[in-house]
Amino acid sequence: MNDHYNGIEFSHLFTAAQVICQIEQTDRDGVILELLRLLALERGIGNVNDAYEAVLERENSFPTIVGSGIAMPHARLEAINDLVVGVITSQKGIIYPNKPDNPIKLMILTLAPKTAPGLYLQAMSSLAKICQDPETANAVSNLGSGEEIWKFFDRNGLVLPNYVLACDIMDPVQVKLHEDDTLEQAIDLFVRYGRIDLPVVDKEEELIGVVSTYELLRVCLPDYILWMDDLTPILNFEPFLEVLRNESKTWLTEIMASEFATVAEDAPAIQIAKELTRHNADNAYVLRGKQLVGVVSLEGFLRKVLRD
Amino acid sequence: MRMGVMFGVGVLVALLANAVNLERSQIISCSIFIMIIMATLLFWTFRLAIAFVGIGVLMGSNVLDLPTFIKECKIDVILFLIGMMVTVGVLKELGLFTWIIQMVISTPRMTGLKFVTIIVFLGAFMACAVDEVTSIVFVATLIFQVCDTLKVKPIPFIIIAVMGTNVGSSGTMLGNPVGILIGQNADPPLGFMDFLTWSFPIMLLTLTCTLGVLVYWFRKDIRLLSERLESRREMRLGLGPLVKVPYARGLVILVGMICFIALHHQLEHLLNLEPNTILIVAPLIIAGILMIWRNKRARHYIEDDVEWWTLLFFMMLFAVAGTLEHTQVTREIADSFQSVFGDKPALLTPIIIFISALGSAFVDNIVFVAAFIPVVNKLEQTPLYWALLQGACLGGNITMIGSTANIVALGMLEKRYRVHINFFQWFKVGAVVGLISCLIAWGGIALLSPYMPTKAQREEAVSARYESGPGVEANESHVPKNDDYQNDSLK
Repeated sequence: MNDHYNGIEFSHLFTAAQVICQIEQTDRDGVILELLRLLALERGIGNVNDAYEAVLERENSFPTIVGSGIAMPHARLEAINDLVVGVITSQKGIIYPNKPDNPIKLMILTLAPKTAPGLYLQAMSSLAKICQDPETANAVSNLGSGEEIWKFFDRNGLVLPNYVLACDIMDPVQVKLHEDDTLEQAIDLFVRYGRIDLPVVDKEEELIGVVSTYELLRVCLPDYILWMDDLTPILNFEPFLEVLRNESKTWLTEIMASEFATVAEDAPAIQIAKELTRHNADNAYVLRGKQLVGVVSLEGFLRKVLRD
Repeated sequence: MRMGVMFGVGVLVALLANAVNLERSQIISCSIFIMIIMATLLFWTFRLAIAFVGIGVLMGSNVLDLPTFIKECKIDVILFLIGMMVTVGVLKELGLFTWIIQMVISTPRMTGLKFVTIIVFLGAFMACAVDEVTSIVFVATLIFQVCDTLKVKPIPFIIIAVMGTNVGSSGTMLGNPVGILIGQNADPPLGFMDFLTWSFPIMLLTLTCTLGVLVYWFRKDIRLLSERLESRREMRLGLGPLVKVPYARGLVILVGMICFIALHHQLEHLLNLEPNTILIVAPLIIAGILMIWRNKRARHYIEDDVEWWTLLFFMMLFAVAGTLEHTQVTREIADSFQSVFGDKPALLTPIIIFISALGSAFVDNIVFVAAFIPVVNKLEQTPLYWALLQGACLGGNITMIGSTANIVALGMLEKRYRVHINFFQWFKVGAVVGLISCLIAWGGIALLSPYMPTKAQREEAVSARYESGPGVEANESHVPKNDDYQNDSLK
């Protein structure tokens, strides 16, 4: 289903008639509804209310602000068979609930067929170049007509890739440990951020291992203790006390796993699924060379591929 | 390709058997036996299925009948192993093995050499008490704990522990399934104390020398372990969490079981039972009592702790090997053996040690022993049983597939670390250890041979026991015959 979009230019996915230029309205929901009505008129997207609810539900769960002043709301609809794109610009800025300090000046709405996993990701991947440029939102919102906006996208030669890359669906690494950290710091981060595992990097930010809560539990309760049927000797968490006593003296390298799921940033995103399955892991780490540049969680992967 | 090799070798053996004028039934049993051996080598995961098919072919070709199959399955050996497996499962849950591992990791001033010495002797003595596979599972867990904590590669220490366990498994009748097989099928049967008297001292000597070889071979890894242990000690960190383990019940059960088994001879005499009856039923009685005590877990012990796959495979192998005896193939081999090598134990002992060691290095040692024991019975010399036992156990060290303990330990290593040991990585050290330990075992047997009872003396002891009791008629198969005396060269 996605194949016939491979290699086509992003500008071929919409026309100047599918662009609302410099809208006055600043309410996110109203703007989205306006654009959906236009797309319904131009392309036919089935019931507008259904599409509106689908987009809002997705947007309320995971806002799609992808760069400075740029948002890419989207939904997958049963009523359509092709990718439908609409663009809207605002000079005042469209205000997202809970994100008033990041007014959206360029909104690209994508509607994909229900049975096309990853099509939205392909479209988003093609826009990566302009999304990374902090001037894009301002530049596009200053353009006065739909024709000019279409030409902006056409001029930039944005092409849908043949497949989605790992870097297209990765999230930035927000929490990480360093090789000289101790178990104490790891436990603090596990508790504070509620993570299953945490990457460990060296001074060059190269990924050297992963510390997981499972490994931590195994340190407290090794196999030879778990053999026992009668847990009376450890009812008061004695092995945990031992670990607590030594946590500031225990280097992460002692419990760090050197086998974990990694993918190169330019590897096909499907490679992530393979690595997650092969390592029975919750997170796959995305590398540029040996440097840690991102992370894809199992939950995030499934959401992006099956729901986005 | 592999299928072709298996059938090719089977056909080749059939042609050879035909060339030496064996009968039709003998040709078929030889051919099927070899094909099953080849199958275990070439199709390890299908070995049980192939053994089932092999039994079917033997029965279908009228070489093996149902009564012979049931007799040759050696249900006594299987029952003994079931009893041991259940008992070990209970001991594990009672924390006995946890206590043992904690004792090791809390040993003061631990060094690499001390650790290696402990794992070798612990593996060997645990094998003597509860069989080699159980022993290696616990010792491997200990090694993983220490190596994970110290961040050192576990492979050298796993090899060391496996080799210690294999050597130790020759020490008692419980150490290895081949021990119980030899004990039960020797003519007349050998008891627990026979093993303790004649095999255990040889095992101790062999184990000490094996330890020396392994310490030299893996000296760099042991030095690294010492350094890591030292730096951990400086930081006042232990090798793992320690908890108070209520081990006393488990220890009492283990010691009680060993005493029960060790006294089997006296108890059988007292109760006027067939030789080794108590030996076989002791683990079953203990397992039964433990299952009544811990009745909520009884089903778990039977379903999860008993290795049914392995036991069924053993039964099929015993039956196939028994067919060789049933069709008189083993008698032919024994006659050829005698005509080529004579009947001098000084010559036969090393030959049997090295043949069984080489055989066990590539084929499951229980297959080899099951097939070879009728040959040794025919040769009628006591030292040869010990030669067969030593060769079968020590030969397991030569290759990575040489014994069940090797396969279990490597499986654990692979599952935990996703690492494989190269065949030659093992073979280099295995061949050296195998050769040296076999030479020592040969020396030990040669040294003890003059003091070993002859077959006639052993039969005399058995018959004397039964003549003094009411069960004489029931046990007349154990009364020695005149020609047995005449054939005993050590008389």
